[in-house]
Amino acid sequence: MNPSINNIARNRTAQEWPQASRVKLSRIGAAIAVAVGLIICWRAAEIRPTAFFEPGTAAALWAFIRGLFPPDLSLEFVRVVGAAIIRTAALAIAGTTLAIAIGLPLGVMSTPTLWQRGVLLAGEPPGVMRVAMAWLSRVCRALLGLLRAVPDLMWGLFFVVAVGLGPVAGALALGVSYGGMLGRVYADVFEDVDPRALEALHATGATRLQVFLRAIWPQAKPSIVAYTLYLLECCARSAAVLGFIGAGGIGYEINLSMRLFEYGQVLTLIMALVGLVAATDVFSRYLRRRLHANAPAGSLAHEHFENERGLRSRADGRTRATIVIFVATIAASFYVTGFFSETRTGLLSRIVHFIGESFPPELNATLLRQLAWPLVQTIGISVMGTLIGIAIGAALSLPATSTLIFTGDDEAGSRSLITRGARAFVYYAARLTLNLLRSIPELVWVLMCILAVGLGPFAGTLAIGLHSGGVLGKLYAETLEEVPARPVEALRASGARPLQILLWGIWPQARPTLISYTVLRWEMNLRVSTILGLVGGGGLGQAIYNNVQLGFYSRTTTIVAIVYVLVITMDWMGDRLRSRRTAI
Amino acid sequence: MIYSLKEITKSYQSRQGVVRALDELTFDVRPTERVALLGPSGAGKTTLFRLLNATLRPTSGTLRFDCQEVSAMSSRELRQMRRRIGTIYQQHQLVPSLSALDNTLCGKLGSWSLFETARSAALPSKDNAAQAMAALESVGLADKHRARADELSGGQQQRLTIARVLMQDPDVILADEPFASLDPALTETIASLLLGLAQNGKRTLVATLHDVDLALRFFPRIIALRNARVLFDKLTSEVCREDLKSLYAGDSDLEPLVDTAIETPSREPKHKQHRAQ
Repeated sequence: MNPSINNIARNRTAQEWPQASRVKLSRIGAAIAVAVGLIICWRAAEIRPTAFFEPGTAAALWAFIRGLFPPDLSLEFVRVVGAAIIRTAALAIAGTTLAIAIGLPLGVMSTPTLWQRGVLLAGEPPGVMRVAMAWLSRVCRALLGLLRAVPDLMWGLFFVVAVGLGPVAGALALGVSYGGMLGRVYADVFEDVDPRALEALHATGATRLQVFLRAIWPQAKPSIVAYTLYLLECCARSAAVLGFIGAGGIGYEINLSMRLFEYGQVLTLIMALVGLVAATDVFSRYLRRRLHANAPAGSLAHEHFENERGLRSRADGRTRATIVIFVATIAASFYVTGFFSETRTGLLSRIVHFIGESFPPELNATLLRQLAWPLVQTIGISVMGTLIGIAIGAALSLPATSTLIFTGDDEAGSRSLITRGARAFVYYAARLTLNLLRSIPELVWVLMCILAVGLGPFAGTLAIGLHSGGVLGKLYAETLEEVPARPVEALRASGARPLQILLWGIWPQARPTLISYTVLRWEMNLRVSTILGLVGGGGLGQAIYNNVQLGFYSRTTTIVAIVYVLVITMDWMGDRLRSRRTAI
Repeated sequence: MIYSLKEITKSYQSRQGVVRALDELTFDVRPTERVALLGPSGAGKTTLFRLLNATLRPTSGTLRFDCQEVSAMSSRELRQMRRRIGTIYQQHQLVPSLSALDNTLCGKLGSWSLFETARSAALPSKDNAAQAMAALESVGLADKHRARADELSGGQQQRLTIARVLMQDPDVILADEPFASLDPALTETIASLLLGLAQNGKRTLVATLHDVDLALRFFPRIIALRNARVLFDKLTSEVCREDLKSLYAGDSDLEPLVDTAIETPSREPKHKQHRAQ
């Protein structure tokens, strides 16, 4: 150390340094509130770590694991699995199509820059039409919020009651709940496009429709396509889960096999499900690449010139074939789902009757008091489940981060083959574990956790923890990988160890994104925890299930209203947490 | 010899084929020597820098640091070597969301134990904080110790990187264009700071410069790079006008091609390189 620096250092008094230990009263208050909240959540989720060590548990788990092998690959059962996969895929495609049909119009209607404020409206005279459209736009936005807030499985229960047990109810449920999600995302994307293009077109006297088609859509298209395809993946997972309430497909078969103690079949089905989700992932990645390649979008004006020169003919033929396959797939999906085959007489009157039964919601004090504890339980499950997920995700994300595990080929120094091999093994093992955790849906995890710790909220908490551990681990690893490399390189050049590089170079840069992902995941887990009760995971789901079974539809409406309020409150809190994220 | 380079070559694969960023460089640097690397942009200075602080491996040739061969070092030995080399980067490479004080502390990381690392994530020890503060003070940033690195101006960021090196207390200082983003008055301050740091501490200083005057004024030895080769390697007193003329002479048609390959080596994502081209 430079002697002069040491001298300066010695002359300074302690209080001049930034005191990280400076304690504020509000901090203590917040810490106590968080601690009390966590204790309540712990109690509500009925977490019993000892449950793993009870005498029966190990035996039951061992029986389950031994039962998984060998997987049932008999021709008979493979045929069942094949049919289930086709059904599930058809359900996902039909659901996504419905979701687009619902989400796109509502999304356009609820885009504020088109109807409520911004350059397009600044010069308009304030008339009755304008005010009416602005209000309609707000109503559409609120409607999207409602569709989104109620979980898909809960919509599924309604449609089962309304249109009868079967895949049609499942497709409608997917369409409605994911339509709400798509609509909101579409509206956000439309709102976020560069407004200068809008202004320029508006100034030339273009109508609103023209502005939308020529200025907004071309800018928004890549994000819209990407998100819609992402949604298809989500739908595939949800479609499998909807089988639990009788929509058929893989979820139905898993539930059945679990109840019959045919664990070999369960393993086959889980492998099929993982395969299906992976296939959707590959397919959507392929489509995403293809659709990006088709830029520039939005104009047919070039076609005249290109047709003349015969440039397009080959690409044109391929595009036409793609469209034909596309439409045929969708039609086939609706057919397999049973939209055309079942008789639909009296469907409308049944829906009207059902809606009539559901209103007004029952609001007496006894019911509300009965629902208080399940409500707390639902929140507790989501919080504790997310915490478990954070722990699993954080632990697995470090070995799954390629930039931490591998050094570049250009890196100086010598490397032995053995350390490189060991590192590669650790990396791929972590990635594989994350994929496995992620591709098994929460509801399937619940069934397995019930085997380990018995019925109740603890099983639900574990299930949420395992699934979100897989999701968060992947997101964490990707975030850590994508941190700007220059500051990290500077630390490495000064001789820092990997742990130090992680703590001082990567973590500070990745923190906001990590927090944001975690809060988003928690919001999703809250929705999931409202439905875990359907298969015995505790919380509000149990109450809904019971009331639907007993035909108390007005009570069900009350519970759904509670779920809605809960979800939008938590969304609001999540937004606030995220906007403060840099200050945390 | 602190550095000994023998026929060092570094080539990159680019879309135009293999680009040689450095072509058979051979030279030595003695301890406490002060060397200026001169050359037009794209001559290979930044690549040479990454080789010297052992973040990049040469395609061929041998590089020795303090008589040890770098390509044979284990990752532990590499860390120990890097600890002795303080790098001042052209683009500063500070951690944007950390405070100036934390960024200064980063210079010390190489010599901390694991325990110290874990502890300092919460609260750095008083000694370390005091040293970091003193380093900040000597570059005139003591009042900014709480500011995030990305809130500082370009010149302040440059001074912060010097504070980080001061904190590291290395044997060798590598400075890549240390005066590039400074106004004339600050250049004087930083130059005297850097040279003082090298001379008082008996440290070796290797700096790339684009300003010939500064090189002639402050550095006893000049190595000139052009088109990935050493054009001349002389004591400053022996450098004549013709040398400098030939160094910056007009035929620069190769520059843009080599330029992108060198300024952004493979660490950058592919599409960014694309755009740069």
